[in-house]
Amino acid sequence: MTIGLNPPRLEAGDKATGRARYVDDIELPGMLYAALVTSPHAHARIIGCRVDAARAMPGVKAIVTGDDLKGPRSGGIIKDESMVARGRVRYVGEIVAAVAAVDRETASRAAEAIEVAYEPLPAALSIDQALAAGAPILHEDYASYVKTVPGGGHDNTAFDSSVEEGDVERALRECDVIVESTWETQAQHHLYLETNGCVADVDAAGRITLHATCQSVHHIQQRVAEELGEPTARVRVLATRVGGGFGGKHASNIHSIAAWLARAARRPVKLVLSRTQDFEIQRSRHPARIWIKTGARRDGTIVARDVRVILDGGAYADESPAVLAFALLMSRGPYRIPNARARGQVVYTNKLRAGSFRGFGNPQASFAGESQIDELAAKLGMDPVEIRLKNAMRPNDTAFGGEAVRSCVLTECLTRVRDAQGQAPPLKPRSGRKRGVGYAVMSHVSGLMGTAASVSLLSDGSVALATGCVDIGQGSDTILVQICADALKLPIERVSYAPQDTDSSPYNWKTAGSRSTYMTGRAVAVATTEVREKMLEHAGEMMECGVADLELRPGGAIGIKGVPKTVSFKEIAMRSLYRAGGPIAAHHGFVFDGPGFDPKRAAINRLAFANLGVYTFGAHCVEVDVDEATGAVEVRRAWCAHDAGRAINPVSCEGQIQGGFVQGIGYALTEAMQWNDEGWLTTVTLADYKVPGILDTPPEIHAIVLEDPDPSHPVGAKGIGEPSLVGAAPAIANAIHNATGARARTLPMTPERVLDALDAR
Amino acid sequence: MEYVAPSTLEEAYRALDADDARCLAGGQSLVAMMNLGIVSPSRLVSLRRISALRGITAERDGSLRIGAMTSHAELAALDAPVAGAALLAQAARVVAYPAVRAFGTLGGSVAHADPAADYPVALVAADAVIEVGSAAGNRRIPATDFFRALFETALGRSEIVTAIIVPAGPAASRAAYEKLSLVAGDFAILSVAAIVERTARVAVGCCGPRPILATGLALNDTALREAARKIADASDPPSDHRASAAYRRKILPELVCRAVRAAQQ
Amino acid sequence: MTSKLPMTLNVNGEPHDLIAATTATLLDVLRSSLELTGTKRGCNHGVCGACTVLLDGKLARSCLTLAVDVGERPVTTVEGISGNEAFSPVQQALIDAGAIQCGFCTPGFVIALSELFAREPHAGREQIRAALSGNLCRCSGYVKIIEAAESLAGAAP
Repeated sequence: MTIGLNPPRLEAGDKATGRARYVDDIELPGMLYAALVTSPHAHARIIGCRVDAARAMPGVKAIVTGDDLKGPRSGGIIKDESMVARGRVRYVGEIVAAVAAVDRETASRAAEAIEVAYEPLPAALSIDQALAAGAPILHEDYASYVKTVPGGGHDNTAFDSSVEEGDVERALRECDVIVESTWETQAQHHLYLETNGCVADVDAAGRITLHATCQSVHHIQQRVAEELGEPTARVRVLATRVGGGFGGKHASNIHSIAAWLARAARRPVKLVLSRTQDFEIQRSRHPARIWIKTGARRDGTIVARDVRVILDGGAYADESPAVLAFALLMSRGPYRIPNARARGQVVYTNKLRAGSFRGFGNPQASFAGESQIDELAAKLGMDPVEIRLKNAMRPNDTAFGGEAVRSCVLTECLTRVRDAQGQAPPLKPRSGRKRGVGYAVMSHVSGLMGTAASVSLLSDGSVALATGCVDIGQGSDTILVQICADALKLPIERVSYAPQDTDSSPYNWKTAGSRSTYMTGRAVAVATTEVREKMLEHAGEMMECGVADLELRPGGAIGIKGVPKTVSFKEIAMRSLYRAGGPIAAHHGFVFDGPGFDPKRAAINRLAFANLGVYTFGAHCVEVDVDEATGAVEVRRAWCAHDAGRAINPVSCEGQIQGGFVQGIGYALTEAMQWNDEGWLTTVTLADYKVPGILDTPPEIHAIVLEDPDPSHPVGAKGIGEPSLVGAAPAIANAIHNATGARARTLPMTPERVLDALDAR
Repeated sequence: MEYVAPSTLEEAYRALDADDARCLAGGQSLVAMMNLGIVSPSRLVSLRRISALRGITAERDGSLRIGAMTSHAELAALDAPVAGAALLAQAARVVAYPAVRAFGTLGGSVAHADPAADYPVALVAADAVIEVGSAAGNRRIPATDFFRALFETALGRSEIVTAIIVPAGPAASRAAYEKLSLVAGDFAILSVAAIVERTARVAVGCCGPRPILATGLALNDTALREAARKIADASDPPSDHRASAAYRRKILPELVCRAVRAAQQ
Repeated sequence: MTSKLPMTLNVNGEPHDLIAATTATLLDVLRSSLELTGTKRGCNHGVCGACTVLLDGKLARSCLTLAVDVGERPVTTVEGISGNEAFSPVQQALIDAGAIQCGFCTPGFVIALSELFAREPHAGREQIRAALSGNLCRCSGYVKIIEAAESLAGAAP
């Protein structure tokens, strides 16, 4: 009934009228404001920290420094972090102390009055500097850190992994044509319009309540409890409306700091980062250096691919091992290449941590891999679409690592965008510019980890749905309600959806990995089905017939097939609450249960995942105009075809595809975080860090949603949040080459870099 | 911070005569800098109520007198009778964004003198004169002398930019403003303002602390490109996060030619 | 310690007496003193457009406007856009087109589109894009925002 329709988002009205409540809109009685002291050094020993002057200021209610922390280190897969720096700082901007005071001005002045003495150390600011002989070692105690996945790290290498199938060396020796190149990609910033922040409150017993703009209430709860040394039950996290996440709003030290200060001051504390602070303190996408060698037969069959990936992980490992794993797995590309090897490492450098960001290693891997497919095509004299069609994965192939891929519409995605561009009314290039058409294909996954949903029948036959899935703007609230309503043939107004609150929401790992529609949607579908089954049982007893004779009627009733007689959901609810059976509800939780990697097929060394998710596929075609005199590139039109499995809300799918593609335009052409020689981030305002505005984006981004249902999901749906970002940069690079013969291998492809590539032809 | 909002220029001059006192024109640059903690004036003198700073009038000699508090939007909408003013109007149209153009002012932008901004180069090409007032009286400073270095002008303490005078210039002159930026609304990587009659008068921005002026350029393609190359060779552009000096030198000749061609259309 | 001044601001048609620091921006005052939190702070240095309001009927970045310098000029925020209706035509169009994702940029776009359609009811695509050139959106890629605006322009009498 509602699946495949486009009801307006549940919260759209609140957002359009300014009613929606984001973290900075929250004011609590007695609320204090936090200010941060951050490191001015890229690498230094902390000699001492004096807080007396700050503590003595009227209005200052709590201060925390590294001296106050005694517990073990925290963090992601490698627990190498602490809430505030202890003993050492490892990047400019690392938080060294925090103050809570009665107003922002007092907090600021108190922070300025905290004296921190440093002994600067030599810093390693790049991959090369960190790997050089004699490089300063960022984590001397690395061996003693707790690691949830063994990492093989040493010196400044935080982690290394590899995946190998077949015999790459032999295949490369035996093939007819080889291409080999190296690509460099930059640190991109998520640039959610709403910065990171939270409000921490505390009750008389010291129990913490955190309001956070975040991508997982459960993840923050876990992290804060860990860092404060509290049982998880003593930390409650509620999600506010979230003004964008893209992977940059996972748990971070600011949540623990706010909680710590609130507990110490016994008052609520607001800690919202300024835009500059958010740039300096939080996370970036991993800069990467990727070397690929691809070998093919004369007829265009790709037989081998050898890849090396080095990720610049910044000062703390965060999710780097997982990003590395995914980059390696995606580096073969969605092709049936029988011999493939990907080896990689994450390197510590004295810059802010690199972490999760839409695409999660795939944008880097695909920029390199898909650019090189075009280079290979050129060397073979083949059409870029033809070589991809020839080698594309098909249903029941295996992805790199041996995971079975049951559904695959890659070739269809590619032919759809090729045909759409071919049939579109021709668009004249801008005067004096060269037109190019470029393609890229991508695969991605949707799945991972655990999630749950609970569904309850309310007294009038309405339904209450609750999950732990945070809507970060991608529209999960609405589609989860649509799935539930659809399974009960109810209009969506009859399904309420609970806000995410660790005190009451079923568990969800995170809004990440394009997993919400697939994972939580699946849990919702199963839990709703269980409620339906229970209602059918009641109805059978009430109408004295077998369940097999019953069917759902639209609008909240159950009837006997072929007969007008019905009982309403309300009558069933009443019976359950007052007469027999008890309240009708169901809860369904699961962990991703796909087939996983195949150790008989692939030699896997230290991959940070055990299995991934269901695979999705996509293809992009872009038209660009290149100004050969200045190197300026304009994307004129784009066609982006993506498999959503089953489009619950097609308009939302399109919006995700278009938004991801434009974030990809920024990645391709305009965005780069830059550091100076002292390790200071120089791009710390929106005047320096440029994201595409409306005039930098083509008004025509055609989102083509294909539906190839996944059999493991009751509704067939897969996720669509990330892939559209992945294909943008290589498609644009290939279009630039198509227009001019120039090959840019460093992102972003600014006018200067493109001009250099033009000159190098 | 003290705030005063005088209604006359005389009151404004007196209010500015204090340490760390600054003018508030449209606020589009100043308030951003205050928010970022880059400046903290002890006293802010708002120019909003001073009617003497507003208005666009034609002077007897054909030049146009543009009040300093004229907004970019007003300037952009100007149906300019003279090439120099048309050039300013073109520059005004590409300053930042609509909301900034609604309230940002010509005078404020000129006094701020960001070398990547659009007006300095247009004003130098237009041979404009900056009228500056103080308690001691008015003086007029040619644009070529007004812009000294990065964010540095010839303005003295307690002086206010009161108007920009754009000369009439030869009747048949045409103007064009060419700007290359990474994204729309951004500061320029390189900008060129050209006024063309029988020869071209060209000013190049973002290639040094002050706009580079070249006059009397021949209009035929080869000569123009050659002259533009000489300008590039002699220039000392910065390397910054937007582009390197080498890149700016490389594209300078092309942008000069484009600006001149656009003016001729 | 910055000084505070009393002032009266005309916001959404109503006068509000308040006391604010001289360095306070209109954005600060709207959100704190007046508790009108619909206008958002995205960057606080005048680039993102999330703080856009109408000042004297013109688009203004409230983060670049000193509250003390506003004077009698009327201010309109997103809370004042729909009058007595639940949604204005601009708001309804954005909702219907699926143009709203995280929603943080939305109030700014509502103001910008409202200002555009007040003076150009039949605005074409290029006018729409120019009017919105100072508002960043990180979620939508702008396509559905343009569609929403074009549907409004097409529906205008």
